[in-house]
Amino acid sequence: MFKHLFKLIWNKKKQNSLLIAEMLVSFIVIFAVFSLMAYFYQNFKKPMGFEYEDVWVINYQNNQKFSTTDSVNLYYETLTKTIKQLPQVKEISFAHTNVPFANSTGMTGFNYKGKDIQSVNNYTVDEKYSDVFKMNILEGRWFIPQDKIAARRHILINQTLKEELFGKGKAIGQVIGDDKGKAKDKMEIIGVVQDMKDKGDYYSAGRGLYNPIDTGAFRYLSTMLIKVTPDADAAFESKLYKTITNYMKNATVEIEHLSQKRVAMNKVTLIPTVVLLTIAGFLIINVALGLFGVLWYNINKRKGEIGLRRAIGASGNAVSKQIVTEAMVLATLSLIIGSFFAVQFPLLHVFDVAASVYITALILAILFIYLLVLICSLYPGRQAAAIYPAVALHEE
Amino acid sequence: MLKNYFKIAIAVLRRRKFFTFISLFGISFTLTVLMVITALLSNVINPGYPDKKRDRCLYIPRLEMTSKKGWMMRTASSFYFLNHFAGSLKTPEKIGIASGSQTSNAYVNNKKLVIDVKFTNADFWDIGDFDFIEGKPYNKSQIDQSQRVTVISERTKLDYFGDVPSVVGKYIEADNVQYRVIGVVKSVPISADAFYGNMYLPYTVSKSDYRSKNYDGPYQAILLGHSTADLEKMQAEYAAIVRKIPVVDKDYDQLYSNADTYFRSVVRDIAGKGNKSGMFVFIASASAIVLLFLLLPTINLVNINITRIMERSSEIGVRKAFGASSRTLVYQFVIENIILTLIGGILGVIFSILVLHFINSLQLIKDMTFTLNLEVLFYSLLACLFFGFLSGVYPAWRMSRLNVVTALKAQ
Repeated sequence: MFKHLFKLIWNKKKQNSLLIAEMLVSFIVIFAVFSLMAYFYQNFKKPMGFEYEDVWVINYQNNQKFSTTDSVNLYYETLTKTIKQLPQVKEISFAHTNVPFANSTGMTGFNYKGKDIQSVNNYTVDEKYSDVFKMNILEGRWFIPQDKIAARRHILINQTLKEELFGKGKAIGQVIGDDKGKAKDKMEIIGVVQDMKDKGDYYSAGRGLYNPIDTGAFRYLSTMLIKVTPDADAAFESKLYKTITNYMKNATVEIEHLSQKRVAMNKVTLIPTVVLLTIAGFLIINVALGLFGVLWYNINKRKGEIGLRRAIGASGNAVSKQIVTEAMVLATLSLIIGSFFAVQFPLLHVFDVAASVYITALILAILFIYLLVLICSLYPGRQAAAIYPAVALHEE
Repeated sequence: MLKNYFKIAIAVLRRRKFFTFISLFGISFTLTVLMVITALLSNVINPGYPDKKRDRCLYIPRLEMTSKKGWMMRTASSFYFLNHFAGSLKTPEKIGIASGSQTSNAYVNNKKLVIDVKFTNADFWDIGDFDFIEGKPYNKSQIDQSQRVTVISERTKLDYFGDVPSVVGKYIEADNVQYRVIGVVKSVPISADAFYGNMYLPYTVSKSDYRSKNYDGPYQAILLGHSTADLEKMQAEYAAIVRKIPVVDKDYDQLYSNADTYFRSVVRDIAGKGNKSGMFVFIASASAIVLLFLLLPTINLVNINITRIMERSSEIGVRKAFGASSRTLVYQFVIENIILTLIGGILGVIFSILVLHFINSLQLIKDMTFTLNLEVLFYSLLACLFFGFLSGVYPAWRMSRLNVVTALKAQ
């Protein structure tokens, strides 16, 4: 049966090769779209890892000049106390600019047992940071003030980085950093935190590393995080703003809400995705109509052949089955070629995305193309089944 | 002859309505996407409000410093850097210096306003063609005296003062400082980065020290030439100056700063590095993406066209039998296809207008409207012809090789 079908396909190789090319390109488009969707969905399913509701970000550019480190520290300690006195403020933390949902990323890299680990998100934070976000500490402990003066830098890492470095093993107490580097550049792990999806709902947390801010840090920090009570309203925000700007006379200050920043960040992901999906959708409708038209036309042209088959005893169902199977064989041929290219993505670790994303996308794309071809060939198949041998042969 | 082909084409289109529908759907949809993209792109490349002199302008949006250790810093420049080095150029008519917009908050009646503040010099107002709804910009003497005066956008006026006839002379508070409003301009869309702001202030009232001799800072420069011909001269002059600038920061050993046309500066931001503008990489990858996108509808059209043309084998047979050459036939079918594509193109224009209307109504970018301009129409016409040609040639060529006898017998 299949041998016969292949012969039929081979006889019309020119026309069929165009059909195969069309299915192949559609498959590649669909594979790309599904890869993206699978990636977003897998990330979306993961927990956020922190609480962002009722957390406000205060960005300030302070242009005041300080003579000594002590005077800077004193200046910001007073500011913290002043803000803390407001009844709606629960917690305050200072951090480097790459706070959750900000368009700011700080990356670092290091050596561990000769392995070069790159693209690690580097967060510089203070002792209160985990309280502000109610971060989930899986192992060890969060920073305490004494960490600032430890001989080796004390750091926390996130779950992703831990699994990559130590697998199921113990992370606490391990020292990472350049093997030949100086002692003060080495980092000792004191804890592991749950991943924080801080780039929005649709992106994975990636590798992460938390540094405590050092003694001179207030000279360059420009971000404050404030956890407020749920009843904090615009009136309070205006009061808070006045308090800060009155204290920092030489600063420009901006208050943002993390919950709003999350919505904005997700929008940046969603809008292009929706546009892409719409375009892909129309492309597929376009292809479906084309396939349908060509198959349908082919049936009309093969009336003689089909009539002959019916005349020597083939049932309507058998004829319609033949038409559909022919289309499916064509689809299979293009899918084999397409899968060959698609499989390279997980094999070569393109874009540093989990292989499961590509495999899910591959399976879905194959199913999708089969379904599409099946739908497009069903009607022409039924038409073929409806051909009466006498009429068809008479026309011939 | 052409008239005849046209008549045949219309007759053929009306005979197989389903196939005509498929072809038109594919063509008009593809062109709609292409046209919408060009409309968006042309908004980036071509001047719009208030950047109407863009073809006479060069932009210095950023400064890049690198070190042999592999470090790289890319930031905007300081006022000192631009004023001192770019300011020493002889060719430009005006040199506008303005900071990137800095976000600040204001609270009015317990409502929060987010205001984007831009610090500028006096020339800035001569380079941008701002529409002043009331008042006027601040001048050089006001800047030198560090007067706390401001020009605000229509949006800020509405948000801060409400719907009142005039606000000139009133005070607006941002960052806990009071500024006197001396002018209101029509709001600028955020995409016109060099001119965007909701509140413009003299650079001398900025809280950051504009006298600081560091090279990095929040400022960008716009150089206005006397004519388009000046651009190259200005570029070369600035490049010569940059070569002589000493690198004072001990962490870095190489400094790059470029005066670019607007489009080039955008591309440099995405794909450039050091002295390379990244233009080639950008154009090549953009064309590759467009070609990939065109591939699917084109194969589809070729498929459909082959089917359509083969259906007419008897007509071809008769015409061949009466002496029509292959070339005449190819000619006829290509023209037919181009007619079909042009019809699809007209539909595409209609759809694009609808889509752009929809995008505008979403207000994805505040104060920005996309329009289908003549240039975009011209490009879409080119795309139409290209498309019609591409999807018509192969089927026509295959058809022309049909043997007369086979063609006639097929009926």
